[in-house]
Amino acid sequence: MTLTSTSLPLLRLDGVSIHLGGREILSPTTLDVARGEFVCIIGPSGCGKTTLLRAAAGFVAPQGGTVLRSGRPVTGPSREAAFVFQDYGRALLPWRTVEGNVALALEAAKVPAAERPARIAKVLATVGLGAHAGKFPAQLSGGMQQRVQIARCLAQEPALMLMDEPFGALDAMTREGLQDEVARLVRETGLTVLFVTHDLEEAIYLGDRVIALRANPGPGRPSVARVADVRIERPRDQLATKEHPEFLRLRRELYGDLGHGHG
Amino acid sequence: MASRWRAFVLPLLLLAALEWTARTVNAGSDAIAPPSLAAVAFWGALRDGSLWSATLFTLRAAAAGLALGALLGIAGGIVLGLSRRAAAAGFLSIELLRPVPSVALIPIAMLVFGFGLSLEVSVVAFATFWPLLVLSQAAARQVEPGLLEVAAALELGALERTLKIVLPAMLPRLLVALRLGVAIALVVAVTVEIAANPHGMGYAMMIAQQSLDPALMLAWLAWIGVVGYALNAGATWLQQRLARRMGEVPR
Repeated sequence: MTLTSTSLPLLRLDGVSIHLGGREILSPTTLDVARGEFVCIIGPSGCGKTTLLRAAAGFVAPQGGTVLRSGRPVTGPSREAAFVFQDYGRALLPWRTVEGNVALALEAAKVPAAERPARIAKVLATVGLGAHAGKFPAQLSGGMQQRVQIARCLAQEPALMLMDEPFGALDAMTREGLQDEVARLVRETGLTVLFVTHDLEEAIYLGDRVIALRANPGPGRPSVARVADVRIERPRDQLATKEHPEFLRLRRELYGDLGHGHG
Repeated sequence: MASRWRAFVLPLLLLAALEWTARTVNAGSDAIAPPSLAAVAFWGALRDGSLWSATLFTLRAAAAGLALGALLGIAGGIVLGLSRRAAAAGFLSIELLRPVPSVALIPIAMLVFGFGLSLEVSVVAFATFWPLLVLSQAAARQVEPGLLEVAAALELGALERTLKIVLPAMLPRLLVALRLGVAIALVVAVTVEIAANPHGMGYAMMIAQQSLDPALMLAWLAWIGVVGYALNAGATWLQQRLARRMGEVPR
């Protein structure tokens, strides 16, 4: 077996440990994400799942270990990795229209002005916002604002999409719609996704692999509590997949790792 | 509609009272004159062109001083607001220099620049620099951290980040600071003219006082008030227009 760029994991966390304010947030964690893979990270609040994602994005420099993207050490944020923030209200520029917010990614990438309108129209159509290009974020619902953020991330044409509980603040109906949409996008574009959520069903429904982290890691208690492959065929369906025996088995297996069942 | 007119009742009553006292109790005073005579004096200043030339001088000095003070103040405020290290390094110098009354600078500025526009511009710039520095530092510190992370994730350079993220995010607070700056600039410009600079509206008012012409003095005083009111109204209008263009949903 030769080591080519395609066999290299797109993202590798090699013994990454993070301390913040004298507290261990992440004990040495090793994790590979292959190109085209959809990996979900779950865990109780305070388990460091968002910190892990921020380290993968380059927002946080780990105290130990290295983060590698396509084999190169990550030293800071990069346009190669798009970050979808949970709080869309704080991630969109309120003074720019939907179109203008997407354009920001193209301006940052120095895309010539003449090419921008077509590319903006394309990503907005992809997330179903074609008719709302001229509206300001404050005029849109929460679900639509999150679509704008996803559109901006798609516009930067990243290799890796890092999503931090992107649907956590949305109502159940909107959330399911967006889950299916992200799953379709990933299928169509071959994006690689690292997706943090506290919703176990969302993690199993979306992921090829689910990684459960535990709270209060320490010596003898590594951050990664369990890794489970999700062998359920795609495209998945909100009803059928969630009644699939494998889905139910995984749900039962991982349930305890979310901090339930410890009395 | 009736409530709109109610606001004019008190000023009209005061004017009438002034007219009455200036014509009866204080007739022949060197300090006050009846508003009707002030209106005549105003008409005279309007016709001989002194009104416009003095007003333009003061406005030009106030605008240039404010532009200079705001430019430096906002640039400094952004640096201090975004960098904790810069804020710590600059803190003492700012707190020592800020309380210096701007008019106390007139003697030095006179030595450096002599009489004229530069004298007034420099003092106005000094006076407006501090509030704009402090207010834009606060505004920069309150820029949504999420937006700065978006800028980092998109690898925006320092200049692009400032122009596309930081400044627009600060704008609503900056406009409030600029409105304050407009008021300060006019007050300080007129003060410099009264105290030292032989130009502009403040100087015209001083000349009227020294030539024992209370009607003309009163006319200038009222006119300065009108100019101040118009400037503030203009700044408010601009602020609301910009806020709407920046995506603020009208309430």
